[in-house]
Amino acid sequence: MNEHADVVIIGGGVNGCAIAYYLSKLGMNVSVFERNYLGSGATGSCGAGIRQQWSTKENTELAIQSVHMFEELSDELGEDIEFSQGGYLIINHTEEELAQSKKNVKMQKTLGLDVSMVSVDEINDIVPVLDVNGMDSVGATFCPTDGHANPFKTTFAYAHAAEQLGANIHTHTLVKDIKTKNNQVSEVLTDKKSVKTRWVVDAAGAWSSQIAKMVGISIPNKPFRKEVLATERLEPLFKAMVISFKDGIYFSQQPEGNIVGGIPIPEQRSGFYELPTFSFIQHMSETLTRYAPALRDINMLRHWTGYYDVTPDARPILGEDSKVRGFVHCHGFSGHGFMLSPMVSRMLAEYISNDKESSVLKRLRLNRYEDEDIDMEQNVVG
Amino acid sequence: MRVNNIPNVRTCIAPLTEDVTVETQDTFASWPKETHNTSATKADACTVDVLIVGGGPAGLEAAVQAAKQNAKVLLVDENQQLGGQLIKQTHKFFGSKQENAGTRGVTIAKELEETVQDHTGIELLLESTVIGFYEDTSSDYFTFAVSKRKGYESSIVKVQAKTVIFAVGAMENMLLFPGNDLPGVYGAGAVQTLMNVYGVKPGNHVLMVGAGNVGLIVSYQLLQAGILVDRVVEAAPIIGGYHVHAAKLRRCGVPIYTRHSIKEIIGSDHVEAAVVVRLDENWQEIPGSEKTIECDTVCLAVGLTPSTRLLSQMGVKMYTIAEAGGFVAIHDDYMQTSVPGVFVAGDNSGIEEASTAMIEGKIAGVAAAIQTGKTSTKQAKELLDIFASELASLRAGPFGEKPRIAKQKIQTFWRKNQ
Repeated sequence: MNEHADVVIIGGGVNGCAIAYYLSKLGMNVSVFERNYLGSGATGSCGAGIRQQWSTKENTELAIQSVHMFEELSDELGEDIEFSQGGYLIINHTEEELAQSKKNVKMQKTLGLDVSMVSVDEINDIVPVLDVNGMDSVGATFCPTDGHANPFKTTFAYAHAAEQLGANIHTHTLVKDIKTKNNQVSEVLTDKKSVKTRWVVDAAGAWSSQIAKMVGISIPNKPFRKEVLATERLEPLFKAMVISFKDGIYFSQQPEGNIVGGIPIPEQRSGFYELPTFSFIQHMSETLTRYAPALRDINMLRHWTGYYDVTPDARPILGEDSKVRGFVHCHGFSGHGFMLSPMVSRMLAEYISNDKESSVLKRLRLNRYEDEDIDMEQNVVG
Repeated sequence: MRVNNIPNVRTCIAPLTEDVTVETQDTFASWPKETHNTSATKADACTVDVLIVGGGPAGLEAAVQAAKQNAKVLLVDENQQLGGQLIKQTHKFFGSKQENAGTRGVTIAKELEETVQDHTGIELLLESTVIGFYEDTSSDYFTFAVSKRKGYESSIVKVQAKTVIFAVGAMENMLLFPGNDLPGVYGAGAVQTLMNVYGVKPGNHVLMVGAGNVGLIVSYQLLQAGILVDRVVEAAPIIGGYHVHAAKLRRCGVPIYTRHSIKEIIGSDHVEAAVVVRLDENWQEIPGSEKTIECDTVCLAVGLTPSTRLLSQMGVKMYTIAEAGGFVAIHDDYMQTSVPGVFVAGDNSGIEEASTAMIEGKIAGVAAAIQTGKTSTKQAKELLDIFASELASLRAGPFGEKPRIAKQKIQTFWRKNQ
């Protein structure tokens, strides 16, 4: 039996499910194929932070708009996604970093973001347990409207809302091939069924390049294993996410009391490496106890890995491919897919449904890498 | 509990020393007050031929045998005392003389502990827990993180091992019923620890749930400690344990009710009574058959589940085998799993008895030593054959039926995977 869908989405992470929702809302008939379970990739293993403080304009714009959407999302989808805004505190360690922060804050303010420079003395007003000397801090920036949400609940809420609008979500279904006719997407073959369609969205995260390859497109993304740990529960004390671009560390306290955070390991290499590393334990505990010495005797409870789908400029690749019509890129989030998902997904849905292409979307197309000058996102952690 | 300003200390297994401050902790740990910055230290590390996880009967025998074959052994156990469940087994063992029949578990543990402590090839890491399997590209060995407790503080040790034997045992099963989280509800293992290791009475009036060997033996030990055992309830239509244990209890006037189970506990902050109910042929509760029994303690002896999480994490091939107690690693005749260099022994490879666990441990110990290349293959292989035939004869009796089926299934899955 040959089924038909207006759009086939590959990948049941937060972006795949969100696009399914926004497309369904616009009246389109959507099928989602996820080879495992919803949120089984980067979404379900991410640090859950939502940040608007970026060095590039595109990311900042997308993030600000996403936060506006996150604020309304529980009501809109009818399920609580546990969104809360405790802010992001970005620690600076050098005068050079401070200068870059000032530049960023200025740019971010022109886009309407509530963000400010924080002096060393003010850091403990925001997060009491931090040791400013241990962190070797010269200042910080703080945006009180940054925050976090529950990635599983957000993904499920999008999926349930999409299904209510008629979307078909197939988990444990592997996409085997994508057929094209005259450089136009025509059919998606899975291990269970085939679906005729004119649109395919590649939202397969770290596995996006395997999907793109099915239609002969090569993308520059590389998978990187990232590690996260959670400590035992402690009395809830602070709400902000603490991050440092120099040390690469990020951590926050969950509403349940656990400290959750990550850091890159020095010997990082690209590839599908699944195991957690001993190096991470060593590196994370050293750095974390330098930032918050009170955590010295707190045990780690869990430690897990997931993949960043990393692009050369640490910005996502979005929009319809210039060579294969109907093939839509939605990947390369480089560790920021969850926080950008509402706005990115809505824009892509509007593009597919109404051919409306925003200026941000235009600037994040795959063919930007053909230009010599690409704007590199500097504000990356984890 | 909070001890000397350190939160989340498991005081039930931490030894008490002089001059300590012990405080209760409600849900969340409060933040440690002391926030001075100490310079970070690199994790301690050690490299061994054979890492043995678990110092119960299987792990102890494995350590002795591997060390006898010249392998450098590290034995890790989370308790302060070696011996695992043996140290609470004050009853005499059945079986043949060779396998310590007629000897009490606690005595066997003591003898094994002395052998292990005297052997220069065995290093011990007590009060320590293997918390995970990790990647370390700088080594071909298996890398584990071990959380080592010293006093009330803990630190991480990096252990790299050429081979590993998991002898971690099993976890007690719990039952779901209202009130099962109240003080006074114990697993049979905890009751044995309190009575037989620490000499503490767990309560005064006990309802025992489960009439397998553990339920029957612990009931008798409770009577010996001067505690009233009201009755034993058993959901199955027959008594699962040995007749001799059941007969002993009955002679003391303790009734055993088959096709009966616990429905709920009455009490607000501790057990005040328990409601038992009769079950029909389909194990469903019969309405109206409820009976309230006054008691202050409910002891659950409802079986064990193999502890296999580290094996899962290492990607060892596993199957659910009911007769083995759940999800277990499949292994060859010499206890090696589908991941070369990873061995299993004892309850974590299928629930059985201490006596068979000890022989499985011996086999795994020798086989691991062979794998490390530290021993002459021919001589060691002869030893393996001797142990294998001992194991077969132990399982030959009528009570060895369940493990026999379990091990046959493991063998079938193993061959299918070759």
